[in-house]
Amino acid sequence: MSEASYIGTSVPRREGAHKLSGQAQYVSDLRRHDWLHARLVLSPYAHAKIERVDLTPALRLPGVVAAFSAQDLTLARLGRQLNGGSDRVLDVLLAHSEVSFAGEPVAVVLAETAAAAEDGAEAVEVSYRRLAAATDPRQAMAKDAVRVRSEEELHGAEDEEAAHGAAVGGEVEGQSAPNVTRQIAFDRGDIDAGFRLADQVVEQSYRIAGVHQAYLEPQAAAAEAHPDGSVTIWASTQGAFYSRSYAAECLGLSEEKVKVVPMTVGGAFGGKGGLLEPLAAALATVVRRPVMLVLDRLQDFLVSNPGPAAEITVRLGATKDGQLTAIFADMMFDSGAAPGSPVGIAGMLLGGTYQAPNLAVRGVEVVTHKVPVGAYRAPGAPQAYFALESAMDELSRKLGVDPLTLRLKNASVEGDPQVNGRPWPRIGLVECLEQAARDPLWVKRQKGDDEGIGVAAGGWPGGTEPAAAVCRVNGDGTLTVQVGSVDITGTHTTFALIAAQAFGIDPSRVRVITGDTDAAPYAGFAGGSKITTTVGSAVLAAAAEARRQILELAASEMEAPADDLEVSDGQVRVKGVPEGGRSVAELAALTTGFGASKAPVTGQGRTAITKSAPGFAVHIAKVRLDRRHGWLKIVDYLAVQDVGKALNPAAVAGQMRGGTAQGIGRALFEQMVYQGGQLQDASLADYDLPLASDLPPIRVAMVEVPSPIGPFGAKGVGEPPAIPGAATVANAIRDAGGPRLTSVPIRPQQLIGD
Amino acid sequence: MSEMPGRVAVRFVVNGRPVEREVEGRQSLADCLRDGLSLTGTHLGCEQGVCGACNVLVDGQVVRSCLMLAAQAEGCQVTTVEGIGEGDRRLNPLQQAFLDNHGLQCGFCTPGMLIAATALLKENPHPSREEVTAAISGVVCRCTGYTDIVDSILAAADAMAR
Ligand code: FES
Ligand code: FES
Repeated sequence: MSEASYIGTSVPRREGAHKLSGQAQYVSDLRRHDWLHARLVLSPYAHAKIERVDLTPALRLPGVVAAFSAQDLTLARLGRQLNGGSDRVLDVLLAHSEVSFAGEPVAVVLAETAAAAEDGAEAVEVSYRRLAAATDPRQAMAKDAVRVRSEEELHGAEDEEAAHGAAVGGEVEGQSAPNVTRQIAFDRGDIDAGFRLADQVVEQSYRIAGVHQAYLEPQAAAAEAHPDGSVTIWASTQGAFYSRSYAAECLGLSEEKVKVVPMTVGGAFGGKGGLLEPLAAALATVVRRPVMLVLDRLQDFLVSNPGPAAEITVRLGATKDGQLTAIFADMMFDSGAAPGSPVGIAGMLLGGTYQAPNLAVRGVEVVTHKVPVGAYRAPGAPQAYFALESAMDELSRKLGVDPLTLRLKNASVEGDPQVNGRPWPRIGLVECLEQAARDPLWVKRQKGDDEGIGVAAGGWPGGTEPAAAVCRVNGDGTLTVQVGSVDITGTHTTFALIAAQAFGIDPSRVRVITGDTDAAPYAGFAGGSKITTTVGSAVLAAAAEARRQILELAASEMEAPADDLEVSDGQVRVKGVPEGGRSVAELAALTTGFGASKAPVTGQGRTAITKSAPGFAVHIAKVRLDRRHGWLKIVDYLAVQDVGKALNPAAVAGQMRGGTAQGIGRALFEQMVYQGGQLQDASLADYDLPLASDLPPIRVAMVEVPSPIGPFGAKGVGEPPAIPGAATVANAIRDAGGPRLTSVPIRPQQLIGD
Repeated sequence: MSEMPGRVAVRFVVNGRPVEREVEGRQSLADCLRDGLSLTGTHLGCEQGVCGACNVLVDGQVVRSCLMLAAQAEGCQVTTVEGIGEGDRRLNPLQQAFLDNHGLQCGFCTPGMLIAATALLKENPHPSREEVTAAISGVVCRCTGYTDIVDSILAAADAMAR
């Protein structure tokens, strides 16, 4: 009898019924009668000294209970004497003496109702002395530019990239211009000689707008302080343990004193974790009341950490048969008011996707007086690939070589050097390109005069982080799997399949739960497309260990060597003997209950993989263009992706479609528009998100090049689909006889012509 | 009922249950449902009438509950996501179709989508793909790219016709 396979079959999301009936609990759904509601007071200026914060007008209003500026939130107020300085101002989001972006929180008001808190925040009077601001990165790099951050502040800035991808190296020491907080350089061969060898060279500068994650649930955190000095934080976070460490550090608490309860997350895409947790916890401690802090949409746009804008110049050289001879790229990432842009990852992808003997990739990160950027789905990659894949398209036109052929000729494969010299592991870029080339849309390339078909690739290195999981066999033979990761994209459903497969039981008998940080085994940030590969591997190991334990138990009961036994469909049998045996339920009954004789079955799995599983995607779009009116319609769209192994294909397809929609959003709609450091489109009415009527049905095709590290060969799937969209659409427009678009989002006026 | 200044008494029916509340005049229907009645399935994504996460049915019509005042619901029949199911636990065919066709991810837009789809299918039990797309184009979903949501609603229409 062949063993049942649960892997690779589409199953509905485990938590779906909760969400469909309105029962899922997001942070703001927590009901209790004693919440104090917090409301932030934000700076209207991009750069200013805070001269005075007068909280008294707020405190006089009915319902207002307390109000704080940064100066009022000190360790002394928290009643702790840690880190030597009891008057140390806590690092909890509020600006200390100077604001460095419009929207930076300067004070917070607590009231009995959200409405009263809002009134209170309106009443707070802040006097500012406005200072010159550097809101544009070019301006910020000018010789006499005002400094956005002091040397001191820059020291010890955290590295966003580490959480999302791999640190790639290539760092250049020293500062080339004011406000440049990071420089990278990767070189190979002789770049000038490379361009001399080329028969064709293309060069162009590309601009990619800053965009917001625009998750539908605004950022939220709630907290309660306890008499023993510990705090509980309910958070909308991608990483409960990340939120815990960060809150503990900000508040000067030890980690075991901070409990983070991860709530259902209403979308995150890299943007959620740590923003509000420290402040909520500090407030709850100081006022000795539980505190609920929920941003409204305006504040969310102004305060939270969006994806950065970038300018990238790409020059490519190739021989007439389409062999790349040189790749040059020069990047500038606008990091907002703090370092942490993904310039390193962008450089790695720009220089590593295709192979050329000669390479020079340069990049700078510039700080400006705007909201500090953070991670947004595949940080750095949509920027890098808009430039690279638009340039490849132009090159294929100049050479007269088919765009997929050109890419196939130069695509990196296993063993080829990345920008830092390290070899690529087995990747599926070639397989994705080949799959795209087989799709009827590409084979037939049927199109009207006003239509065009464009293709573009994209890739993501994949992150790593240690993880653990526990798999318990309950007294009735069901399994409970406990993990510390939050389920945003359906990962718990996938974990159930993994555990079922590894143990030998039907997935309906497996329940997967996320514990809070007091109870759950460690798991990393749900970002960087790594939860399935890292936590999934721990779940696999935990279930395998539980299986080993049940076999051991069965061996003693059935008087057969454990090696001769197997578990299948919840039944332990002698291998090759389909009848008889004992059910897991029967055996498990021996491990629980009063007077039971056997030790409980509790499998633990731990992993610390250090190799990642890069994932590639290739998209094809067919567009119809009306150049008289600047009107564009995407009539067909195919997303191809190497997913390693689709553990739950429906969930993978969902990730692919959702990511693709965000890529199309970047291509056609989304942009954070600033004027003098003021965000002009800080509402969902102004910030243009794709609606159902804006998008075609998105077709998906999965390629499976198994990863050696992910469970059953799986790769992270969240990030790659969000990458190729901008170049895919731009290349389709060019193919339809439109202009070569060098900036996204594409504006209708750019399409008007004849 | 005696009224405090700025407060109004309001009586309406929510999910078949009559309720009587005294609300602040400025309180939105969404806040009244969420805070007053603990019906937190109605979500707030923008509070500006744009995203549709707060959609409820008021006398059968789709209404953005963040834009409507609670006081305006006087005498109305209000249905929230908690009220569209059948019985206590079971999912109705529309909810089941969303589950089976992966019409949800983070779930934050889901109540708004379900309400929009409920109204559509009541009026037009056999909608085309274009009609479904149009009907949900007032609800923002950031996660799914909409394809699976449209498929879910089409599947629900099929299931309900059987
Ligand atoms: S919350 Fe009502 S429309 Fe967005
Ligand atoms: S499922 Fe997340 S917004 Fe629609």
